Amino acid sequence: MRTIPISLLLLASLAATGCVTVRPQERAVLADPVMVFEGDPVIAAQLHHAIDNREGSFGGSGVTGGGCGCN
Amino acid sequence: MQLIHRAVRAIGVILVAAAVLVVAAPARAQAVQFDTTHGLYYEAPLRTHMFVYTPSATLTANPSDWLSVNAGWEADVVSGASVATKAGRAYQATQPSADVISTASVHDFRNVGRGGFTVKKDNTSFGAGGLYSTENDYRSVSFNVMARTELYEHNTQLELDYAHNFDDVCDLVQDPNALPAGRLALPSSQGCFNPSDKTRTQHDIAIDNLQGTWSQALTPVFQMQGIYTLQIVNGFQSDPYRSVQLGAGLKAQEYTPQNRYRHSLAVRGNYFMRGLKAALRVGLRGYWDTWNITSGTVELEFEKYLTSAFRLGVNGRLYKQTGAIFWSDDYTGGAPPQLGPKGQYFTGDRELSPFFSFMVGVKATYAVAAAEKKVLGFMTDTKLVVAANFMQFNYDEYTLGGQSLGDVRAYLLNLGFSAGF
Repeated sequence: MRTIPISLLLLASLAATGCVTVRPQERAVLADPVMVFEGDPVIAAQLHHAIDNREGSFGGSGVTGGGCGCN
Repeated sequence: MQLIHRAVRAIGVILVAAAVLVVAAPARAQAVQFDTTHGLYYEAPLRTHMFVYTPSATLTANPSDWLSVNAGWEADVVSGASVATKAGRAYQATQPSADVISTASVHDFRNVGRGGFTVKKDNTSFGAGGLYSTENDYRSVSFNVMARTELYEHNTQLELDYAHNFDDVCDLVQDPNALPAGRLALPSSQGCFNPSDKTRTQHDIAIDNLQGTWSQALTPVFQMQGIYTLQIVNGFQSDPYRSVQLGAGLKAQEYTPQNRYRHSLAVRGNYFMRGLKAALRVGLRGYWDTWNITSGTVELEFEKYLTSAFRLGVNGRLYKQTGAIFWSDDYTGGAPPQLGPKGQYFTGDRELSPFFSFMVGVKATYAVAAAEKKVLGFMTDTKLVVAANFMQFNYDEYTLGGQSLGDVRAYLLNLGFSAGF
């Protein structure tokens, strides 16, 4: 279990030492709505809410709570 | 309880503040955004026919460049039927009427009010929010905080989120001396959270959620994201309505451990194909918890611009999980039925059983932003999204009415509309 936080720390360290790979003037595509992670956050949250209540797992899509509504 | 009251009051203050800011927001590029979504979920595993309608509305105000305030509401309108008593295939063979879908329909109405704010200074943002939700048999008060920073000319983004839930679930008042195998299921939600009903009680559930997200732009057309999520659940986690057949003539309310630690690690990548004017998104997620459930998820999505305003996407998802360590389809000891129970814990929850599922879907998006003139004369931008998905669950061990469930199907339809003013 201890390997997970160590791996994350290692990845974060790599990011911190990483060079600037994309210059500001090259970022137009990355800012396009189709390139944004969770581009439709409300629709995505609704879908995750439906799926999470029918699976034994969760994660990777936000941390807010609010009950189940699933019975 | 005092903490809960404070949390509810804080949510109320946020909602009022959001309303005031919306009204007082000065004219600017986009001062206010309104989002509404409507979701339909229909599932047809044999006779349960679960139907859920989920509407939501969110108002976000940006009274200044550094402050954003939001308030929203959502609901789940649930109807269908549920399994009142779960028995396994072996027990069912000799007692064919044991596995019962409750004849009384399930009707529930989950209401959620939420609010929050985000402040931004240079490349760093802080946010906080809260929500309060009610169901016939469940109450939830939650607060959340967020910190995000951007580094290396916005190429690296780090975000940390934390949320805590103070939840309560309704249950039948049990005999204090009863062993788990002697506990009775809650017959209905009638009387729940009513202090004058002495046949009902409530159990606390505390949920801590922690999530760390690292997003990295790697090339001008490719970026990745890594997400670690931890959830710690402490409290009553069974379905209070469901009984499990433990032996001949012996059934009891399902009984699961009080504590659960849940971990997930996800990696996502977005790649833009300039020639096609399309994006390819790939996601992988691994999950494991202290109930011994492990799962893997693969997601793939392709979205293409057909015009500058209209885009069409297709998506697919594969999911497979193992069962909880205490999961069994038959707790009576196998065929032929023996005296139970088999093991310390017992559940009839198919979400804790081993299964495979897949999902395929399509999504259409129409989005326009006003260049000089406002859209329809009053909106700075508007977006309409329609998404339809089909899911199929194939349960390895779970049976209902003595039959395997190899092809449970679910249909999801989502409609979203956003407008900026």
